[in-house]
Amino acid sequence: MDKSVHQARTLKASHGFRDYKRSTEMCMTMTSQGAEARQFTARTIFDFKTASHLLFIERQRASNIDELLEGVKTCSEESIFQHTFRTLQEHHFIKEGFSNDFAQWAYVDLGEVGLGERLAGLDVREFTSLGAVRERIVEIVEEFVNENPNARKRCSPTPFYFCSSRLIVLPTDLRADSLVEFVDGLKKAGLHSIQYHFIEARLRRKLESNDFSIWLKRDVGLDREAALLNQIDIYTSTLEGVRRKIIQILQNTLGQAS
Amino acid sequence: MAEPGQVSNSNPDKIRTAAAEAAPAGSQAGVVDRPSRRKPQISEFPPPAPPAPKLADYEPIIGKSQLNELRFLASPVAGRRVKMVNSTALGGGVAEMLNQLVPLLDELEVKTNWEVITGGNDFFEITKAFHNALHGQEFSLTQQAKDVFLRTTEQNRQKMNFDEEFIVIHDPQPAGLIGARRDNSSHWIWRCHIDLSHPNKDVWGFLQPMVERYDAAVFSSPAFARSLPIPQALFYPCIDPLSEKNKELDDKFIQEVCDNFGVDRSRPIVTQISRFDRLKDPLGVLRAYKMAKKYVDFQLVLAGGGAADDPEGAVVLKEAQEAAGDDPDVIILELPPWSALEINALQRASTIIIQKSLKEGFGLTVTEGLWKAKPTIASAVGGIPTQVIDKQTGLLVHSVEGCAYQIRYLLTHPEYGIQLGKNGREHVKENFLMTTNARRWLLLFRILAGIAS
Repeated sequence: MDKSVHQARTLKASHGFRDYKRSTEMCMTMTSQGAEARQFTARTIFDFKTASHLLFIERQRASNIDELLEGVKTCSEESIFQHTFRTLQEHHFIKEGFSNDFAQWAYVDLGEVGLGERLAGLDVREFTSLGAVRERIVEIVEEFVNENPNARKRCSPTPFYFCSSRLIVLPTDLRADSLVEFVDGLKKAGLHSIQYHFIEARLRRKLESNDFSIWLKRDVGLDREAALLNQIDIYTSTLEGVRRKIIQILQNTLGQAS
Repeated sequence: MAEPGQVSNSNPDKIRTAAAEAAPAGSQAGVVDRPSRRKPQISEFPPPAPPAPKLADYEPIIGKSQLNELRFLASPVAGRRVKMVNSTALGGGVAEMLNQLVPLLDELEVKTNWEVITGGNDFFEITKAFHNALHGQEFSLTQQAKDVFLRTTEQNRQKMNFDEEFIVIHDPQPAGLIGARRDNSSHWIWRCHIDLSHPNKDVWGFLQPMVERYDAAVFSSPAFARSLPIPQALFYPCIDPLSEKNKELDDKFIQEVCDNFGVDRSRPIVTQISRFDRLKDPLGVLRAYKMAKKYVDFQLVLAGGGAADDPEGAVVLKEAQEAAGDDPDVIILELPPWSALEINALQRASTIIIQKSLKEGFGLTVTEGLWKAKPTIASAVGGIPTQVIDKQTGLLVHSVEGCAYQIRYLLTHPEYGIQLGKNGREHVKENFLMTTNARRWLLLFRILAGIAS
């Protein structure tokens, strides 16, 4: 790796974005192979993966709030994963009004609009474990029931069927060792790959971040871009829209550098 | 195979009329006169089945990344063998699905052998009665019926080998073949395509011990499943985007079909494709049409089969024709089962697709409409809400009045319909295509074989 690029990254890590920007500029001035610097060569390769999921039907089902609560408390973590993280992929083309299966059922089938809204406020990116997601859902439902005891009487003609998801991680033929290649990979990757790296990664990483941001920060030295990616709202964009926003942020960086 | 724009049988003696006789043109003031109806021509005999598509044919539809995903998924099970067993090679949704799935798995090097059980009339009468009883109909299960079922199962078992690694048994008819299982060297899967939510207790009590010996069961909807001690996977039914029913068509062919059927493409077209069956509620659709027609101009197309070989279907067709009266904007078409291209054309020509069923299985006609990016209005019954997410991928209705209102709304807000149509197509692409079905099978094989990572 070009020494000046490495120096820029080291500076970035210790002095924050302003220093990093200055150091990047310096690096680009210093290097004799300007093209390499503009590509933001990475320390390690980013290996795009994807994931395939199979749905299983679980024993729990709910026709009212009490049964929903019981189901959420007793279902498997794979079930919580399915109805929160995974459903985002199944419905990746929707950019409004759909956040998780519990919210959708409470709103549409049970007719408890208030509960539906509260459950829809759940942002899976704030959680690094499925146990914590489960606890938050239980809290929301219990709070709602305490405030609206009559809601317990309401019954939905369409039950909520708890399902779970088994995941198999798969390789792809895409990898990147520079920002330019990374952007190219993002353009070619399937939406399942975007979902795997950008949304589901938090559970693997146990961090409130995603694979893309972690790589951009750690291996390319792009702190600001890593942070910007984490600000993308996955609930008001389609997954394709999320991909476009990521690419736009990174292309801006490449454009500024060239 | 019928080519777009051609009649699929060249013998004029074998051509029959499939639509109503010509109707007077443009009955309303200010309405463009429709072209006069010719007698539409559809072969009396099914055309030969088109060759099964190759995996690469799907790339323009699902993209290279998803196709690669399938290949990566298949590679650890490449060379392993699968046996699929059902009760018919022709006709019915299961045979149609297997005709598409088996070549795809083969091409992915998962060698798949499809076998069909045989039996006498007594066996198939009993399994038909089982089928209805599992859907909740009354049935008195006799010892004789059990004996016929078990004897025929045993005869088939003796004729078949089960040396493949994965044995997939479709539906109740061959379910007893699990008796051939001697050890755990192979993985047995029961794929149930029917709704078991309210089965006749005696029939289910007879079959349940057999089902519980499988390694896994597969259902089409969580609502169709039973409480079982084995894992139950969820495989949604699917459509093949390259089949005659769903492939892209030349506009010229669509126009020709519309001309043949007297459908005016310059005006809105609202279509329900369904058998003439009370549960599909064609009379309810006609009532909704009459309510909405006071506010918006459009034509209603009711097209389907079921009247020729079903006495009740003929009655329902007649009732629909009487309810339509001499309204020239109601076009009722009785089509033979091999009208896939014509149905495809009608769906593509439509402004809105309706499925106002009173009861429904999964509702693949809804899937077909969504795949064609058509705004869809459908009843919230059976598997329809899985496909039509209200106000996202289509509109769910619960009454004739609701259906009429949504027709009015969509016809006066076409931009909203376009967005629903786009979402609906994406929903099908992600969840209800044949390639997704192949992916689910590969996932299940890998999970059962312990190669899930």
